[in-house]
Parts: sequence; structure tokens; C-alpha cells
Amino acid sequence: MKILGISAHYHDSAAALVVDGVPVCAVQEERLSRHKNDATFPLGAIEWCLDHAGLEPADLDAVVYYERSMRKFDRILTSALRTFPHSWRSFPSAMKNSLGEKVWVRGIISAHLGVPRTKILFTGHHHAHAAAAFFTAPTRRAAILTADGVGEWATLTVGHGERRASGGAELTLLREVRYPHSLGLLYSTFTAYFGFAVNEDEYKVMGLAAYGRPTMTDAVRKVIRRTPDGAFALDMKYFEYQTTAARSYSPRFIELFGPPRNPYEPIDLETAEGRRFADCAASVQHVLEETLVDMTGALHRETGLPDLCLAGGVALNGVANARILAESGFERVFVPSAPGDAGCALGAALYADRVYFGNPDRDVPDHPFWGPAVDGQELARAAREDDQIVEELDDAALIERIAGQLAAGRIVGWMEGASEFGPRALGHRSILAAPHAAEMRDRLNRDIKYREAFRPFAPVVPIETADRFFELPPGGARLARFMSGVFPVRPEWRDRLAAITHVDGSARLQTLERDMAPRLHALLEAYGRRTGIPVLLNTSFNVAGEPIVNRALEGYSTFRRCGIDALVAGPTLVVKRASSPARTLKEHVA
Amino acid sequence: MDRMLRPVHRWVWADFDRRVRKLIAFAQVEGDGGRDILRAAEVTPDPLLRRLYLEHAIDELRHADLFRERGAALLQRRATRSKALFNTSPLPGGHGLDDLAIEGEPDHRLLAFLHVAEKAAAGRFAIYRDVVDDDPSTRAIFDEILRDEVFHMNYTYTQLARVLPRSYRRQVWQARASRLWKRYVRAAAAVAGVMGAAVLTIIYFVVLGPFAWLAKRAERREPAGWRPIARDQESPTSQY
Repeated sequence: MKILGISAHYHDSAAALVVDGVPVCAVQEERLSRHKNDATFPLGAIEWCLDHAGLEPADLDAVVYYERSMRKFDRILTSALRTFPHSWRSFPSAMKNSLGEKVWVRGIISAHLGVPRTKILFTGHHHAHAAAAFFTAPTRRAAILTADGVGEWATLTVGHGERRASGGAELTLLREVRYPHSLGLLYSTFTAYFGFAVNEDEYKVMGLAAYGRPTMTDAVRKVIRRTPDGAFALDMKYFEYQTTAARSYSPRFIELFGPPRNPYEPIDLETAEGRRFADCAASVQHVLEETLVDMTGALHRETGLPDLCLAGGVALNGVANARILAESGFERVFVPSAPGDAGCALGAALYADRVYFGNPDRDVPDHPFWGPAVDGQELARAAREDDQIVEELDDAALIERIAGQLAAGRIVGWMEGASEFGPRALGHRSILAAPHAAEMRDRLNRDIKYREAFRPFAPVVPIETADRFFELPPGGARLARFMSGVFPVRPEWRDRLAAITHVDGSARLQTLERDMAPRLHALLEAYGRRTGIPVLLNTSFNVAGEPIVNRALEGYSTFRRCGIDALVAGPTLVVKRASSPARTLKEHVA
Repeated sequence: MDRMLRPVHRWVWADFDRRVRKLIAFAQVEGDGGRDILRAAEVTPDPLLRRLYLEHAIDELRHADLFRERGAALLQRRATRSKALFNTSPLPGGHGLDDLAIEGEPDHRLLAFLHVAEKAAAGRFAIYRDVVDDDPSTRAIFDEILRDEVFHMNYTYTQLARVLPRSYRRQVWQARASRLWKRYVRAAAAVAGVMGAAVLTIIYFVVLGPFAWLAKRAERREPAGWRPIARDQESPTSQY
């Protein structure tokens, strides 16, 4: 059975293809269109998925959309009615937005793909999240928690999933917290308050939180209160996201927390203002963690299960995930590589396969590499045309050469195989560097990533040696498989891992099994033989404002215009020349 | 046209908030344009154009940084500012690639388009440079960018003549016509948007009142906290 899953129209649109119960490919539209957080209907992603599998749209048994668009419209309209007359400014744009395209999704899919309308199915938004987490996790039975900004009405759900011995599978969501009460929107409101981009920069709040102390938790608890049944509710007088698209927090919120940050002014942690923002970030992070730990603890007591599957945008909060693992009672916590809305494309397809069609459950390969493959020859051709230094090496020679370059303090763009599905670079589209000196972190932030100095970088380490450098609780290595947890760097290693150790002594590490990315694993070992520390700094291969690179030529253009010293795509190695031919060309023309 | 509007431009740039907003909007437009040209560098089969597009994109991204930094510096210089400054979307102010689809566009069309756009931007930036004569730092940025625009105009034209020697002039005229058409479409869409918003606002106040009362009454009856999920919500074909 061939099932195409689609997520679109909010942020991070994507397509995923499941054939006979197993994912074949999945890709976010932004990786192909090159527009970050591309939310348009993912035609490029769909075309690539079908091409990759050698299918025509007519071959598909079903196309599954990741949410119920009319139920979502019901929420938008009801919300406008409930906030009448204050919603008068947002009402026209909300209606134009929904009625212009979003509610006609069945027709849009049918028109684009030419498939009969009867083949177009829908899942609940949080059902798709839950399926993306549970059906891709190596567990037989697990509790499930999904949390994001908002789907149709739900903002947080709990339930459980089971793979039965008979071969079938079941996924049940038991209850939900409904809009406007939302942990995701709470965090996004603070993201906007700090002057960061909503739905994009939430992780900056997490990074900033480490610099502060949670001195404002009482104020945050005024904004979010716990309900007697163990859920939570927001005090909506502090929020405006129901009534206007221009701002998510209200004047009362500003009275409570102080003036918001001007997004064009840097955060200076040496000033009282900078420390206020850091303390505020630490406080909202603390309350978020506390709420999630409490809710997952209750879920553990209710289900008695040892495993928890987490999904939704909130599951990208690695600090909270680590606390859930440590304090909720669950022994293992599974977060998929794409816990956000992009992952819903895969989740919707898997849900339809297992639940709607009742097909037998199949194990899903436990890796994140479902995207387009890189072509080393494409890189070699372009680099030679530009008179760059190009070499094509066998694996052993290439790995030794790159290990040497990294040990010498060079920065390497590393592309191999299929690209990752999800927001993290997990070793197939990564920028790698030595993790030892803080200067390397500053150089990367300044010359390559062009981003704020307070933001940390992540390490990648072979799973066999992770415990030597990082304090991993039981289950920690699993949570770190897709970089989903933040754990302490062992104190004795912090000075020698300064580039990846955050100000609070933590790191959002990736533990790498050889089978998942054998070449990167070999590179880590080779680097370890040279330096005694088989750990590398691993950050996504992109610069600020751009999606992670996909094709070799995108890696090459990034390499040419920032401070990356060497670029690898498959067997091809390109080393940067001291002077740029393009510069010479411009001087000549000018 | 822009020259005739010089007094209007002077009036626009004389206001501190508008000046900051313009600079930040330019940063956005230059950044977007830079990324589009970068995409052109990634997809063109022509090695020389790849190098030139790349250089052009680097310039545009640098211009974006210059505008952004200048906007931020002006903001820091002033202790108080209008509340509306960041609550409204910045208006597009400079140039950019006007929703040009880079993928699948032949190089000659892109070169013609870039040439026309760069020429228009250079003319406008020259006026802006003149009207900010009270602000040497902003003026210096326009000066620097204008030097780059000369290179951009030159290379796009010479390369267009190289890749399409017989009809490059016609391409330039087509690009001008296309630019005008896109401006018309944008303006028409904006007018339609305003009309649509007006109609919806009237509907909001005239029709929604009684329904709003019912919705608020229903909301008051809803308990806070958990809500059970009914299994009948799981119909595969239902959008509701």
C-alpha cells in the first residue's frame, strides 16, 4: 500500500511517502524551495517523493493530510466570536487566510495530484504528531504526550500506543488541553517578547535561559496556572494572540515583566536589561519544565508504562526533555527527528497505514535520513569550473585527511548520503569543527553562522564513549540519538570541550551509533586517535536565515561565502583557496 | 518619476521612525534578493554566471547587514520611540526579485530582470543618498551600495549580451514590461485586499454580534483543564 502524507499551510510544510508500512522518503519543502520555514503547499516535496519512489500520483492508495482543516476553521471562527469585538482587526485577515486556501485542502490536493477525492484522507493534527513519535520508536507499548502551539483545537494531548502481538497497532489519545491554553503559545509569546521570531527562534529562549536565574517564576505562574485536574490554563488577560496577529502579549504582560526587547538591539548580558531578559527566559523555561514534568509524571503513574513518546514543537525543548527523563518516572523517552509539524507528514501517513487501513505494524528504520542524497560529482564539477582545489578520495584517506584538518582547527562542511528529516543536522548536512576552545564557538558564531554570541553549539560523540564526557542518565543516550536532550558535560572535561559547553555546563549532544552514520562515526574515531577526545562540534550546515543545505551545490555556495575551510560531499573534498576567483572577477569588471 | 517625487522622499526620510523603518525594510528586501540570487548561482549551468551571481548575492547580503546595522544604530541613539515602530509590518521599500521563480527561469530572463531592477534601485538609492544629507553614516551606506550597483548593472547587461547576443535588447524591454505588470498586479491585489477587509469588517460588526453572544455563553460553561477526546473524531475522510 502506497500512502503519501502531507503537512502544509502553517509552517514547515513537508511530504512523506510510506510504502507497505515502511517510510521510503520524507522531505521538508524548505530544503527544496530554499525558503526557510516554507509553509506553502509542498508540491516540490511531493514531486521529489514520488520521483524518488518511481511512482505516479495515480499509483497512490491514499493521500493523507495532517489535520482536519474545517475543524481548525471552526476554532479560528469560534475564537473570533469569543473575543468579539476585540478581534475585529484580526478577523478579516484570519478569514481571508482560511477561506482563501486552507479550508479547500481536499480540492487543492486533488487538483495538484489528480487523485480522486475519495483517496484523500485526514488525521487529527495531534494524532499525526503522536503517530510520528510512536510508530517510529523502537517500543512495543508507550505512553504518548504531544504538545505544540495549536493544532485544530488541541494544544496538548496524552494517550498511549501499542503494537499488538497479532501484528496490528493501536494509538489512542485520551484527552486534550484546548486552545487558547497552550504551552507552545506561552513559550512563543515569550519568544516574541524577547524580540525573536515566533515559530523559529524558540530555541534561542532556551539558550538564553541558561544565562539567567529563575527569579520571575511567580510572575510566570500568574500567567499560567495549574487546574485541579492536573492540566493548566493561561490567564488570557496577559495575551493578545486571540485578538490580533500583530502582537501576542498584552499591556498587562508588559506591566508584569517590563518592556519588551527591541529585536534590533543585541542582548548584552552585562547590563541589567540583558540580565532581566535572561532571568525572564530562565523563569518561563523553569515553569515549562515543571509543568511538563508534572504532567508526564501523572501520565506515568496512570499508564504504568516504562516508555514515553513525545512529539509536537514543545518536544524540541531538549532541556525539558532531559528533565522529563530524569524526573517523570519513565525509563525511556523517544522524540522523533522531526517532532514538529514537518514530522506530521510522516505521522499522518503512518497513522493511516496502521489505524485507518489496519495494516500490520512494521519496524521503521531508526534513523533520520529520509531526504534527497548528495552528489559528490556535482560538487567536483562546480568546484573545478571555479578553479578550486578538488580531490576525490577513498573513505579511509578522506576520513584521515578531514580528521587532520579538524585537529588543525579548520572548519569542515560535511555532506553525505540522504539529508535529515527534521530541524537538526545529525551528521549528513553538518558543519564540523574542533570542540575544544571557546574561540572556535565565537568564530563559528561570527564568521559562519552569523548569529548571537550567547547561542551554544552541539557536540556529536560515539555512543560507546559518550558517558566518558557527558553525564548521561539511564535512557539519556537514546534521547540524545536525535539531539533531543540537554545533559551536563562532565566537569573535568568542560575546559577541554569549551566550544560545546554552554554557560551552565550543559550540551545538547548527539550520541552516534556506527550503523546510523558509519562515515561520521569513523571520522569521530579518527579524530579521537589524533586528539584523545572523539568529540566534534556539530552544527547545521546553513547560515542564519537559510534552510539547511540539501544539494551539493547549496553546500558549495555556502562554503564559498563564509568561513568554512573545507567541504566534503561523498568522496569529494574541496579546500578553499586563499583568494576568491569571484572577487578577482569583480575587481576586473569594476 | 522618482526625481519628481524627491520632496516626498525628503519628507519620508526626515522622520526618525520612518527612516529606521525604511532601513530595516531595505535590509529585509536586500536579504531576500540576495538569497534569490544565491539560488540562481546554485541552479545555473553556466560557470561564469555562477561566479558572478555568487558575488552579486554576497553584495546583496552585505547590503542587508549594512542597512540592518544602521537601523539598529539609529534606534540605539534614541531613547524613546514610537510604539508603532515594531507593531506594524515594514513596508517593502527597495528592490528585490519580485517573486521571480528562480528555478526553471532561463538565465537570459533573470539577467534582464536583474539589470532592470538594479538600474531602478540605483536611481532610487541615488535620490535617497541626496535626501539624507543630514545623516553622513546613512549617506555613506548609500554611497557604498551605489558603487556595487554599478557593477551589478554592468555585469548583468554584458552577460545578457553574451548569452543572448541577438535579442538582448528585447529581453530588457520585456523585463521592464514584466516589472510594470507585476507592480500593477501587486497594486490591484492590495486594493482587492483592502476591499475584502472592509467587507469582512462590516460583516463582523453587522452579522457576528448575536453569534458572539452565544459563543461567549458557551465558553463560560466550558470547564478549564482536560477535555476527553471522543473516538468518533477519527473518521478518515472527514475534514471536521
